[in-house]
Amino acid sequence: MGIEVRHLTKSFGSFVALRDVSVTVHSGELVALLGPSGSGKTTLLRVIAGLETPDVGTVLFDGDDATRRDPRDRGVGFVFQHYALFRHMSVFENVAFGLRVRPRDQRPAEDDIKHRVHELLELVQLDYLGDRYPSQLSGGQRQRVALARALAVEPTVLLLDEPFGALDAKVRQELRRWLRRLHQEIHLTSVFVTHDQEEALELANRVVVMNEGKIEQDAAPGEVIERPATPFVSNFLGNVNLFHGRVQVEVHDEAGRPMPMELDGERSEAVRVIVGDRVYVRPRATGTP
Amino acid sequence: MDDAAGGRLMVGTRPVRRLTEPAVVRWLLTGLALGFLGLFLLLPLAVVFAEALRNGLGAYLDSVREPDAIAALKLTLLAAAFAVPANLVFGVAAGWAIAKFRFPGRTLLTTLIDLPFAVSPVISGMVFVLLFGRQGLLGPWVAEHDMRIVFAVPGIVLATVFVSFPFVAREVIPVMEAAGTQEEEAARVLGASGFQTFFRVTLPNIKWGVLYGAILCNARAMGEFGAVSVVSGKIRGETNTLPLHVEILYNEYMFQAAFAVASLLTLLAVVTLIVKTILERRMHGGH
Repeated sequence: MGIEVRHLTKSFGSFVALRDVSVTVHSGELVALLGPSGSGKTTLLRVIAGLETPDVGTVLFDGDDATRRDPRDRGVGFVFQHYALFRHMSVFENVAFGLRVRPRDQRPAEDDIKHRVHELLELVQLDYLGDRYPSQLSGGQRQRVALARALAVEPTVLLLDEPFGALDAKVRQELRRWLRRLHQEIHLTSVFVTHDQEEALELANRVVVMNEGKIEQDAAPGEVIERPATPFVSNFLGNVNLFHGRVQVEVHDEAGRPMPMELDGERSEAVRVIVGDRVYVRPRATGTP
Repeated sequence: MDDAAGGRLMVGTRPVRRLTEPAVVRWLLTGLALGFLGLFLLLPLAVVFAEALRNGLGAYLDSVREPDAIAALKLTLLAAAFAVPANLVFGVAAGWAIAKFRFPGRTLLTTLIDLPFAVSPVISGMVFVLLFGRQGLLGPWVAEHDMRIVFAVPGIVLATVFVSFPFVAREVIPVMEAAGTQEEEAARVLGASGFQTFFRVTLPNIKWGVLYGAILCNARAMGEFGAVSVVSGKIRGETNTLPLHVEILYNEYMFQAAFAVASLLTLLAVVTLIVKTILERRMHGGH
């Protein structure tokens, strides 16, 4: 399902979280909302989910106005930053919740629920933990339960708020890879919020960079890096380039010849984005990595 | 003994490092604490039962089975039977509003909930007399409708509800605030209605807090003296609750009977405490 957001404005008291924000998410896309804290990215996600009502503006789902639609009727799956698992329910019951609360005439039979939940738990590789309670799980496992729970209602859109924010680096890497694979498999329209450039660049088809309630740039990951639209974008993404000095690698082109490596990376034959301890190298001519 | 053995084992390998105070200090502190506990908690409790049984079991049973005592017991249970459910519903509703929403007057409501704690019970009782008494604000209206509130059962129930009002809300608010609103939001996005969200997500999360509050509320409702004393009028067999009945007997120098009735209240309190302990254990052990 495609989502279109038009001229959204939302304020909390005197704080303006969103200022005239318009963005389109095409069906099947995986879009990252990237920005520092307080940039309005989570608010935008919550407006799409229906957890916040915008002051001004409209939200269209496949062209239909869904601005005032109740969250329960939107068909979205939402993965909360801190998972928000039901702590008094087992993993199985958490995943089954969305099916159990359906109106009686739409509720699947108990056997179907069981089947579906096991299927989802298998998908997130946690079928053996069905009887556990959230407090007995690790952060990464909780995250995957949250994902399975969100997918149980067969949403047409998946919204993820800082999905990997609270996890340690290794688990984050793993889950990120896993999420990308999942998206490749089921092509669910997905929007995720992150303040982590690496995450946005690695996962998303498109990155929407936000700052102070406004969209600074809305483009493919390569585009955002190569041609930052505003000083803010170049600054926000540029910060990572400060790591240059610590990295000791030789960069080769496809033919194996060493390539010149300038620290600012501005005018060399290749554009390098160095994030953390990793180096992305991309010839200028071809677009995406 | 265990410590001494452990200490000796250590000597051979490395110098003994004492992690605890010397035995004298430990015994002294423990003794002091236990002595205090005995003097101020156990001794009075024992005295209640000793005095109640001073003239033998027969006399004890006679004083407990006396009609006025039975009437007082019934009235006490009746007042609690009104106060606990009323404050349960109110407490959960108020806690829910205060913990999950931001609205104008929220701070005022929080303060108001504590009012019965802040005000002396005697004054709480006076308020009802001033409101519903013959000279009171609503007195004429009450008389017109041929009702009796003050110096009658309704007044006692009202006063009891008032003084035991904050317990459930007080217990529930912190639990709800700690739980946050994310689980409710998750439930909504997953398609749950308001009712389903409340009964399947909100209530299970706070159930131990609610029960704990209800128990404290019940203990206060049954034990309340001051406020009830003002509105009751102390008509024997009609508007006497157990605490009031104890006082009357005591003032009439019927010590054995007074203690016998007091032992009923004590037993109610002990039962309450046992239930509370079980609940606390479940609260910390369960999910």
